[in-house]
Amino acid sequence: MDSFRKIDIDAFDEDVLLETELYDADPRDPAQVLDDAKAKAAAVRSSLSKGDIPGALTAVLDGAPYGPNVDEAKTLALQTLVTILNSTKSSDVSNIVKSLSQDQQDTLMKYIYKGMAMPGWGDVSGSVLLGWHEKLTEAAGIGCIVRTMTDRRIV
Amino acid sequence: MSNTLRPYLSAVRSTLTAALTLENFSSQVVERHNKPEVEVGGSKEVLLNPLTISRNENERVLIESSVNSIRLSIKIKQADEIERILCHKFARFMMQRAESFIVLRRKPVPGYDISFLITNGHTETMLKHKIVDFIIHFMEEVDKEISEMKLSLNARARVVAESYLTTIILETGSFFMYPTSIIN
Repeated sequence: MDSFRKIDIDAFDEDVLLETELYDADPRDPAQVLDDAKAKAAAVRSSLSKGDIPGALTAVLDGAPYGPNVDEAKTLALQTLVTILNSTKSSDVSNIVKSLSQDQQDTLMKYIYKGMAMPGWGDVSGSVLLGWHEKLTEAAGIGCIVRTMTDRRIV
Repeated sequence: MSNTLRPYLSAVRSTLTAALTLENFSSQVVERHNKPEVEVGGSKEVLLNPLTISRNENERVLIESSVNSIRLSIKIKQADEIERILCHKFARFMMQRAESFIVLRRKPVPGYDISFLITNGHTETMLKHKIVDFIIHFMEEVDKEISEMKLSLNARARVVAESYLTTIILETGSFFMYPTSIIN
């Protein structure tokens, strides 16, 4: 009888904020994003076999999939990135993160947090991610973490 | 400090420092109200992306931030049944005295053992780096405390068992009237 009191009337307000208004949507079509992610995964495999870690990392961090309806591409991108992170020698990490641009560093930080949020998934390893996190924070500063928290384009 | 713990704590420290940029923010819905937005969760634009830092499946920290408050939840390492009980009792003991800890939350977030709620009021009246130090110190100490409690519990159990069995031997005169399978 009192159930009308529980209705969230603010959700029906005409100037209510929608999820889509928080960030600019990816202009690419979901199917195309998935194709891009697959092409990148192949490119990364070939760069890894040549030992070109910075090249592989740049490839996967540019144009990373974000937004709704691209879950498959997101999973594939995370998988690819985790493979790169795991196959890097810990002594090379600090030079590699310094060579990235600011946008790439931010995207890398997003992926590191995403990987840490699902421990035990695939071959995600906590100690590897924590090592990368430490080096990346040294290179990019606290601001990089703040941008990860505030950026609505979740990878 | 062990080698694997250090990067974990430094990641928590940097993330917490980044998250602790809070300001006063009145409720958007109710006039003259001021509530921690992370607890209300009413409007999307004042909530930030929650971040997780994990060492492995059993040890992780969740930091949920918003414009005027952050919530930090810790999952403490629990290797076996005794540690689980000790951890539960220990967290319960502290949460019942939450007002003495100021930033402690009275209830943990589901899936975690203990939670802290830090609002802009706390960062204004206390030093921000000291709050971060307190959380890190707490995380260092809680593992140590629980393993110490476990050791003393085992030691106490051994003493109790010994003195109990000694009286049985004294009363019955011989230990050998029991089948050997019990003694072993």
